[in-house]
Amino acid sequence: MTTVHRYGKRPAQHRHKRRQRQFWQFMICGTVFVALVAAKLYSPRHAATLRRAISQAMDRNMDIQEVFASVGRTFAGENAPAEGLREVWNAVFLPSDTDAETGQTVTETLSGLISETLSGDAAEPPAGDVPENVPQTSSENVPQTSSGDAPQVRSGDTSESPDTLTRHQWTETFGNSTAFTSLSEPWPETSGAAVIPEPSSDSSASDDTRPEASSDDTRPEGQASFLYTGQNLPQNVGMEQVLLNFDYQCPVHGEMTSGFGYRKHPIDGVERFHYGVDIAAETGTDIVCFADGVVTATGESTSFGKYCTVEHGGGFTTLYAHCNRVTATSGATVHKGDKLAEVGATGQATGPHLHFALQREGVYLNPVYYLAG
Amino acid sequence: MARVRVKASPAFYILLVWFAAVNGLRPLLTVLSAALVHECGHFAALRRCGARVTGFRLGVCGAVLDSNCSRLSYADELFCVLAGAGANLLAAVLCAAAGNPYPAFTGANLILCAFNLLPVRPLDGGRALELLLSWAAGPAAGEYAARWVSAAGALALASGLAYVMHGSGGSLWLLPAMFGLLAVSVRECVGRA
Repeated sequence: MTTVHRYGKRPAQHRHKRRQRQFWQFMICGTVFVALVAAKLYSPRHAATLRRAISQAMDRNMDIQEVFASVGRTFAGENAPAEGLREVWNAVFLPSDTDAETGQTVTETLSGLISETLSGDAAEPPAGDVPENVPQTSSENVPQTSSGDAPQVRSGDTSESPDTLTRHQWTETFGNSTAFTSLSEPWPETSGAAVIPEPSSDSSASDDTRPEASSDDTRPEGQASFLYTGQNLPQNVGMEQVLLNFDYQCPVHGEMTSGFGYRKHPIDGVERFHYGVDIAAETGTDIVCFADGVVTATGESTSFGKYCTVEHGGGFTTLYAHCNRVTATSGATVHKGDKLAEVGATGQATGPHLHFALQREGVYLNPVYYLAG
Repeated sequence: MARVRVKASPAFYILLVWFAAVNGLRPLLTVLSAALVHECGHFAALRRCGARVTGFRLGVCGAVLDSNCSRLSYADELFCVLAGAGANLLAAVLCAAAGNPYPAFTGANLILCAFNLLPVRPLDGGRALELLLSWAAGPAAGEYAARWVSAAGALALASGLAYVMHGSGGSLWLLPAMFGLLAVSVRECVGRA
């Protein structure tokens, strides 16, 4: 005989259902646990890949605050609906929630609707990749600069990792427009607080704009000093100097305070990869366009501050961050030398400067080669 | 005033911490403030209609106000159901009219308003649809139509969240909501006894 509960429930049946539910929950959790352990035992490589993928997915997030703010601004009439929609789209699918400067998880917006994600290995080099653990590769093991137009790898370069070779193969696809520079140069010739000179003449494709190497090995304070190889470079970073097929110029003139590569972050003190260069200048100094192109995004994020991105064709895009004010509008066609923004210290910045980054098809390149006139 | 039992599931706290960890404290406060406005809207409407609020549950899929609505008319219940979204809309309008000092708060209220008006039970939109149809064509027809609209809507919404997660390359804190919506879809298709 079943005792009817005073609220109309049957405790025995209820308990049975509850136990059944708990049993299935236990079975599902147990199966997942056993499957993961088995995968780790039988295929540690795949397990590591899976773990990395999950870790990366955990790190990447839409910029939810920017989504809210964009909707709020559009509703208040501060943004046109199309602009608001674009901002929301960018915040969801192309968030710049973490600065390349911080080296944390980054999903860049450098090429309009193309998202290029930097995270995992790129953001936090694996344990073996931290500078302290990087083996001091001898110069023989490092690809050297080829002097010809066609990219070449030094014949003695046999100890490179597959990653390095892959990067070289990738570079070779650039054809005649690519040349290698020495990857053993942790900080290009413009070490220390290099001053970006006034543009005496604009560079062009035919110019050999590669600066001459210098023996001066002093580096800015906090600049990590170690050798770059395919193993310790984050993903989506190329140390090659690519010849640009268009005219370009330095976006702002000032003191270069931080270069491309590993460095101690000025705010948190952690050694991370810096995906661009910092050029200090007074607040309000004009930031001009690096080359002809189309403004693909303007926005503001907690780390980049006010920023804009320009697509130049040929897969090249540039980022101008920490601006005090962005004067360019998204979608506008701009020419080399046109004013885009003004220098500021918005976002994660310790002082007024321009964070300038250069990408080619999702691969970060060292902009310093193109800043010297 | 009768006591209101507040209950929060452990999963809610986990989601809260997870959300704060990946998005930061500001987005969390923005969302929570918009949710508070929403629930205050429901609460005020229920009190206005004379219904007693018996509990407030916080779960992984959102907040729920438990109340005894059995004596409310269709119109009153519809008013109470839509009051949350209405409060969000009102908050957004007031904030925008005041010069929009907190655009994120304005946006969060608007998004919460729109999200809750989706025709998916147990969201406000799904319940409002059920009430409207029941009012117009009878409870059976209302339940039948709301069930299938809700099932399809939940499936579409879950797919949308999956797309957002895939597109953003992460945002895994949306996973509980996606699985919750899938469960809603299945439950609506199977039908509750």
